[in-house]
Amino acid sequence: MKALVIHCHPRPGSFNAAIRDLVLAKLTAAGAEVRLRDLYAEGFQPVLTPDEWSGYLDSPANRAPVERHCADVQWCDTLIFVYPTWWYGLPAMLKGWLDRVLLPDVAFLMPDATSKIIRPGLQHITRLGVFTTCGASWWLTRLIGAPGRRQLVRGVGLLCAPRHTRVFAAHYLMDTSTPASRSRHLARVAARMDRLIGRRIAVPLPQQMETT
Amino acid sequence: MARALILFAHPCEESFSSILHRTVLDGLQQRGWEVDDCDLYAEGFNPVLSAAERRGYHDTATNTAPVADHVARLQAAQGLVMVFPVWNYGYPAILKGYFDRVFLPGVSFKLDNGKVSPALKNFTKVAVVTTYGGTRFKSFLAGDPPRTLIKRTLRGLTWPAPLDFMALYDMNNVGDSERRAFQARVAQRMAAF
Repeated sequence: MKALVIHCHPRPGSFNAAIRDLVLAKLTAAGAEVRLRDLYAEGFQPVLTPDEWSGYLDSPANRAPVERHCADVQWCDTLIFVYPTWWYGLPAMLKGWLDRVLLPDVAFLMPDATSKIIRPGLQHITRLGVFTTCGASWWLTRLIGAPGRRQLVRGVGLLCAPRHTRVFAAHYLMDTSTPASRSRHLARVAARMDRLIGRRIAVPLPQQMETT
Repeated sequence: MARALILFAHPCEESFSSILHRTVLDGLQQRGWEVDDCDLYAEGFNPVLSAAERRGYHDTATNTAPVADHVARLQAAQGLVMVFPVWNYGYPAILKGYFDRVFLPGVSFKLDNGKVSPALKNFTKVAVVTTYGGTRFKSFLAGDPPRTLIKRTLRGLTWPAPLDFMALYDMNNVGDSERRAFQARVAQRMAAF
């Protein structure tokens, strides 16, 4: 099992970091090879540049500016995102990772003579995990249509193996969360990770007091 | 004279999005709007919400300081037109970051005792012009996040301003004639904006 974990939160001590640590502990205990990319920590630049746009279809040169990230994506069979939901969607930092890294001939194949439609290119990915926190309630998020969740679970999910395992967990109403609700959420994340991995892995839940 | 703010997000001048941007700009000016043309790429907008901004997000006395200019421009306009391509079923990151950093508590919405109310009362007209790589059907299967975001969130924040959503799907396969027809439709709507 080769797991790529994409983490995106500006604060090192955030609740999202606790979720990430739990995800990493599960993966490590399951014997997986793990690559963690912390986009804020590495100062990832999320803006697709004019040159990148002009050369977007020109593979393999298009991957040069983000070669390491493309290599990660092609290496992994398990892809996991940990991030806060802002404006019902992904933080710009994470959205930019999708824009710049999920390129033609990396994540999908553009229409050509043999096919009129965009075809998936991440069929080596058999496990997709999405873990987030939302300020809004479950009801409001659903009413808006859960755009962030859909971008990853469906948008990226459509590119992965047809019968991949996918798990999702969100802590809603984050601004009124309590230590108890956060602990419950960590237990939920632990259970989802077990389902993603395919068996029960016993690890202690991280201690955390931060609220965001 | 009424002011209109254009939010444009595309890196390249030769793109179809740029043609649409130009169409919108010309249309609004001919209609008599005083236009504030905010080209996020050209202005080098930084879309990354920083750790300090995250910490101070809910402090409405100080949270606008890092983006004061953008907040003033947003609040000074009565018309809002967004022009952008859909990438990966979402806004380009540079535009998503505009929402993360500029649509702050106290600016786009108010939080009173946990109750949210819309705060962009200055807008009387809102329009969105966008292009998708995917077909309408495939976007629908993915839940069409940009459409729902615009029609539910943006419409809610700018309520009761009417909102016009114009989208051209399947950009990789449509021909010149469809692009021209879409551009003409945008021009026509701007002439009546």
